[in-house]
Amino acid sequence: MDNAASTATTSLYFAPEQITRVLFEGFASSAIYLFYIIGIAAIVVFCHGCYVQVRKYRRGAGDTASQAQIKDRLVAMVGTVLSHRTIKRRDTGAGHAHRLIFFGFVLLFIGTATITLEYDITARLFGFKFWYGDFYLWFSLVLDLAGVGLIAGMLYMMARRGWIKPPKLDYARPDREPGDPDFDRSGYRREDWAFLWALIIIAATGFVLEAARLVWLQDRPEVWTLRWWSPVGALLAEGMRAAGLGAEGAGSLRGGLWWFHGAIALVFIALIPRTKVKHIFTASGSLMFRDPLAAQRLPKTDPDAPSVGYAKITDLTWKHLLNLDACTKCGRCHEACPARAAGAPLSPRDVILSLREFANDALEKQSLPEEAKLDIHGKDVGQVFMETLWSCRTCMACVEICPVAVEHVPIIVQMRRKLVEEGQMEPLLQKTLQTIHKTGNSFGESKRKRAAWTKGLDFPVKDARKEPVDVLWFVGDYASFDPRNQKVTQGFARLLNQAGVNFGILYEGESNAGNDVRRVGEEGLYELLAENNIATLSSAGFKRIVTTDPHSFNTIKNEYPDFGGKYEIVHYTQMVLELIREGRLTPDRKLGYRTTYHDPCHLGRFNKEYDAPRALIEAVGCELVDMARSRDNSFCCGAGGGRIWIPDPVGKDKPAQIRMKEAAQIDGLEVFAVACPKDLTMFEDALKTTGNEGRFVVRELIELIEESMAPRQIAEEAVEAV
Amino acid sequence: MKILVPVKRIAALEEDFEIRDDGRDVDGDFINWDLNEWDDYSLETAMQIKEAAGGEPEVVVVTVGPDDAEEVLRKCLAKGADRAIRVWDDALEGADQLAIARVLAGVAKTEAPDLILAGVQSSDHSHGCTGIALSALLDMPHAAVVAAMTYSAGDAKVRVQRELEGGMLHAVDVSTPAVLTIQLGINTPRYASLRGIKQAAARPIEELSAADLGADFASASRVRRMYVPEKSRAQMIEGSPAEQAARIAEIIREATGA
Ligand code: SF4
Ligand code: SF4
Repeated sequence: MDNAASTATTSLYFAPEQITRVLFEGFASSAIYLFYIIGIAAIVVFCHGCYVQVRKYRRGAGDTASQAQIKDRLVAMVGTVLSHRTIKRRDTGAGHAHRLIFFGFVLLFIGTATITLEYDITARLFGFKFWYGDFYLWFSLVLDLAGVGLIAGMLYMMARRGWIKPPKLDYARPDREPGDPDFDRSGYRREDWAFLWALIIIAATGFVLEAARLVWLQDRPEVWTLRWWSPVGALLAEGMRAAGLGAEGAGSLRGGLWWFHGAIALVFIALIPRTKVKHIFTASGSLMFRDPLAAQRLPKTDPDAPSVGYAKITDLTWKHLLNLDACTKCGRCHEACPARAAGAPLSPRDVILSLREFANDALEKQSLPEEAKLDIHGKDVGQVFMETLWSCRTCMACVEICPVAVEHVPIIVQMRRKLVEEGQMEPLLQKTLQTIHKTGNSFGESKRKRAAWTKGLDFPVKDARKEPVDVLWFVGDYASFDPRNQKVTQGFARLLNQAGVNFGILYEGESNAGNDVRRVGEEGLYELLAENNIATLSSAGFKRIVTTDPHSFNTIKNEYPDFGGKYEIVHYTQMVLELIREGRLTPDRKLGYRTTYHDPCHLGRFNKEYDAPRALIEAVGCELVDMARSRDNSFCCGAGGGRIWIPDPVGKDKPAQIRMKEAAQIDGLEVFAVACPKDLTMFEDALKTTGNEGRFVVRELIELIEESMAPRQIAEEAVEAV
Repeated sequence: MKILVPVKRIAALEEDFEIRDDGRDVDGDFINWDLNEWDDYSLETAMQIKEAAGGEPEVVVVTVGPDDAEEVLRKCLAKGADRAIRVWDDALEGADQLAIARVLAGVAKTEAPDLILAGVQSSDHSHGCTGIALSALLDMPHAAVVAAMTYSAGDAKVRVQRELEGGMLHAVDVSTPAVLTIQLGINTPRYASLRGIKQAAARPIEELSAADLGADFASASRVRRMYVPEKSRAQMIEGSPAEQAARIAEIIREATGA
């Protein structure tokens, strides 16, 4: 680097030590001292701010699980941040702009840090200098480009806020009325603009400063000849000279601007921990402690704890407190939330921001306020309404898209646990929970009737508790008891039978799997159900489990292991596809329907199975046309999180109806295919209520597959089976 | 201040059920046991009085039943009752409502509550008289079918509104100690979370035998038979008014054997 014979041709004429930048030249020593005092003050304020923030997080509850595998977490976080993977999703414009700002900022920061490192540390202490010569030239060039990137990114963000105005950046809250004290979010808007302007001004004054320095020192050949290594500065310098600015004028311009630039930059740094800029740290931290199964596997509770769930702000784990500060108000979750879209008083963003404001208010002070002031439930400023919490369908759309790994679903469920403990819920939901406790199913039917659907088959279904089977079919409540779904259930039994699969069910030994009970927040009942099912399963002999119900699938797959039940489980779409590929099922009739497919939350987003159902649609010869919102952006049917047991408000479009209208926009749509019992119920209803009956039909994939099996073959197999 | 809440574990029938071989009750295999719905409301009434008074009044739940009946007491404990008592004696098997009231009266005498809040009736046997019999045995004033009430712990009287036929209410002042039978809908019973019920499992339940109480618990009646009546038949009689009249006359003749 410091080799005079290196590649940078223009530098050949100068000793490399000459090629560097003046720092405090022309400053009185008192001015230099003043600058250091201000600089150190800024760092002190910054550190104190960090201390206050860390103290706030430490006032939360412990979370040991998140502390494991720090190294892997760090690597994954750095990968996510550098790739901007999560920021790009569903918003490429913002992704690119943020990337420019991010890398611009990082480079400029490293640049400034490098100067400090040399001037104040290596040179001062060891007499070692490196910031000169070719290194300096490349350094100038890179930093100039970084500044351009930063400004360009900032300008786009300004345009986005000022002109493009995507709806997700509207901070109006669905859970408060205009006029409520915490309805107004203009503070956030002002902060956004202040941030944009501050960074742009810092970057712009940096360039002007650079230009002024060039003009000022134009007589020094080592400066002037090499000026194009700072292209933006050089361009501005040419402009200044053209405008008649002389060396002397430039010198005094530099003097004044130098203080201005330095002062706002230092103020900016000092305020990082106290403003949205802290997302640099909080978002990275949040990403680092991301739980990839945050919504799929909810946290267990301590059975002996005096209380459960999140009642006070200090009940949140430090990680969830960190999540609150990580939120960048990007609105992606707000946009994706089906409850919000259906006019419910819930926006995942606003739950997070409410709690954040609450935490900042309660936990940043020297000492904790009295107990009563920590209650996050209620109708006061910063508190979360019970209606808000009950509106959530735990569909995971928010967790999925959040670029900074905020865990809305576990936070909401933890808060619901508190509501359940206090009985603050819809009477109908309370009744359903009692029914499930009493009968083991949400239909209030006798256990004995769980397998009544098998009576409609012309072959017996094995009792897996009595004889070993290869495949244990966990049927689930809706598939067992709902009359419409029973037809599908029988269809799947026929498919298994026809493929010669050795399968069985648990008959009355099966209970509700508990997925939704857990998401309601009734953890005690969930434990009971899970333990019952695990006890029954462990008494049965089987190789793997299959289910048609994505909800049961999720909890058995992801949550039962925490209770000692580790099983291999597949969704029926995966298994049927396997059977087709093995040639054990042959859908030979091509149906040719124009079909769209709705990804069930618990199969798609929760368990990332997007392809098997689509492969089945292809296998039966249907033409698949995806809706605009599909796969990870699928729009919930509205049944999740126990909402199937809570009546939706009348007079507003329900999520399922919104979805039907979306599907109806597909030209010539014939079939709306689903792969979940609750979806069948929700969407057949929505088909009627949106007036689309007769235009297209809702079908379970199982029904399409049965239809595509040549009728002759089915008949033959049926005869054989008897 | 003490409130005694007698509760009952009731039998809820499954859709298809069978009668026991001796023909005097439903076969236990077809029964789901649960806390009597009315008792949920009387307990809630007691809990609200307790909470309004800052938690001082003691709420004691009592049931007469075998070991398994503890389950309903746990539910009451989970909802906030302070103590639970279970009284049993094998000789109480098949006891009628008067015998139960006598046992409860024995408990009430030792507990000496200021208020006894029973349910109007039980949802399985529906006699609707245990509470009232209890008041007679204790020689306490009573009010039945209470749909609303005003009372604060320590008051000398309860102001109640009793539900009458035709949507009428009957406002009565009853001096305490008294027995009230509480009607459904007087309040919204709280939810007992499973966690609460599990935690209540660790709490003690006082067990008494009927003999401990020295009570005379003879029944005044016995069940002879329990059965599903034969379905009555209905038919639509078609035709002109004259034809219909003729057909009706014929049916009457058949039925009366004339
Ligand atoms: S889980 Fe779904 S319904 Fe609940 S807040 Fe998130 S996006 Fe909204
Ligand atoms: S919670 Fe996540 S997705 Fe929602 S606004 Fe905040 S950063 Fe965006």
